[in-house]
Amino acid sequence: MSDLATVPSNALIEFRDIHKAFGAKRILQGLSMEVGHKEVFFIIGTSGVGKSVTIKHLIGLLRVDEGEIHFDGRRIDSLSETDFYPVRKRIGMVFQHATLFDSMTLRENVALPLRKHQGMGTKEALARADELLERVNMHAFAHSGPATLSDGMKKRAAIARTLAMEPQVVLFDEPTTGLDPVNARRIDRLIRELSDDLGVTSIVVSHDLTSIFSIADRITFIYQGKAYKSGTRQEFEHSDDPIVRQFISGNSHGPMETPGF
Amino acid sequence: MSLASRIEGLGAAVLRSGRSGIRLALIGAASLRGVAERDYPKGEVARQMYIVGNKSVLFIAITMGFLGMVMVIQSGHQLNRVTGDLTQLGPQFLKLFIQEFAPTITALMLATRVGAGIAAEVGSMKVTEQIDALRLSGITPTSYLIAPRLVACLVMGIILTIIAIVVAFTAGGISAWSVFGLNPTAFFDSSMVRAYDVVIGFTKAFSYSLAIPIISGFCGLEARGGSEGVGTATTSAVIGSSFAVLLLDFIISGIGLTVFGGGV
Repeated sequence: MSDLATVPSNALIEFRDIHKAFGAKRILQGLSMEVGHKEVFFIIGTSGVGKSVTIKHLIGLLRVDEGEIHFDGRRIDSLSETDFYPVRKRIGMVFQHATLFDSMTLRENVALPLRKHQGMGTKEALARADELLERVNMHAFAHSGPATLSDGMKKRAAIARTLAMEPQVVLFDEPTTGLDPVNARRIDRLIRELSDDLGVTSIVVSHDLTSIFSIADRITFIYQGKAYKSGTRQEFEHSDDPIVRQFISGNSHGPMETPGF
Repeated sequence: MSLASRIEGLGAAVLRSGRSGIRLALIGAASLRGVAERDYPKGEVARQMYIVGNKSVLFIAITMGFLGMVMVIQSGHQLNRVTGDLTQLGPQFLKLFIQEFAPTITALMLATRVGAGIAAEVGSMKVTEQIDALRLSGITPTSYLIAPRLVACLVMGIILTIIAIVVAFTAGGISAWSVFGLNPTAFFDSSMVRAYDVVIGFTKAFSYSLAIPIISGFCGLEARGGSEGVGTATTSAVIGSSFAVLLLDFIISGIGLTVFGGGV
């Protein structure tokens, strides 16, 4: 029931018939979708449907059981761990829990990929880290450890670390989950600015409806392991599909089948 | 349950174990490569040496001191009953400790203390996606996390084994003198110790110190889920490391006896 009518012709990323299972649990069962250049692309769906699993395939943190993934015209699902390094320079990820390294200050966290991926010297990497922290309004906390910061601050620092590689694509795994509304909207604005100002393609996994309907260019709704519907946010807002409507309205009653309920 | 499904279950378990064994070997090889490449933060080896060594030394010294005293008193009573000659008590005790007890018991204690610590730390990083973040930052987790712990364990494992020998032998000598009135010059006699004993003892210490961080790091990297996954990884690390120590003890002792004839 995939609806890919609005797919851009110049797709940057293509998922083709992806299957992924963990033991007997089948998560993705033939997922296909495409992401265009400089889009803010949202992947939505209920918890446990495979949204995070899907994006982790793009950077080789998970491997597909079947299917193909293409990035910028090149097949990447079969690359070795070492061959994924260049891909990871172009596709960054901001994890759900920020995942800053506790033993380092914020600027050291941000400088780490610069030293490792780009071979910068420590001084140069730290200077660049300060600039990136300023970009996300976290320069005042450059010398603080992650443990002393709020979740919203950690998320912003994690975004700075991801931007250190000047990636073409940034994957956001539930960037606003656990944040207060003000901080959540700040993160939304930052994601939008990355696309508008820097030309970054953002793939955002979320079920924050405010985020989805304020910054998304296009959306794919994953249901039962497949891309059930893809379209613009306007198309989703006006969709009369009962399953899509149930998800958007947050109604506990309806045709949607949710494991465990 | 039918016979077919039992066989299937057994086959699946064998396959799982086989795959785990391959992953363990790959992680071990990658960790050793990481040691060679020294791709870990400055000062990390020193920090790990402090955690492995300084924080374990009292624990190991007390345990080995008591073990030395108990073994000398028990053996002394037996010798008194059989021959009444205690002159061989110290030399034989030292030989046995260098070849067997000091490296093995020190390693078993490191497996519980250090192995659990490594698995818990690496496992926590795994379940909170910090390991994934490291990989995205261009860092190989085995080089960054396991390699410095491996170097620290190798250095401190040997040093702690030496401390264990000294403490146990000293405690044993004091016990022999106070309980049996044995002259310290008769006890503190190293004439029975041959190069073979030292080589076997330190081969064991070296092998155990290699196995503990690799197995514990592997268990941490295999952690799944939340805090329960970290707990499971920690338990697996202690059991796996302890089992590896005993298995290596058997293998190295066996090779020593069969190939080198026990050094005789």
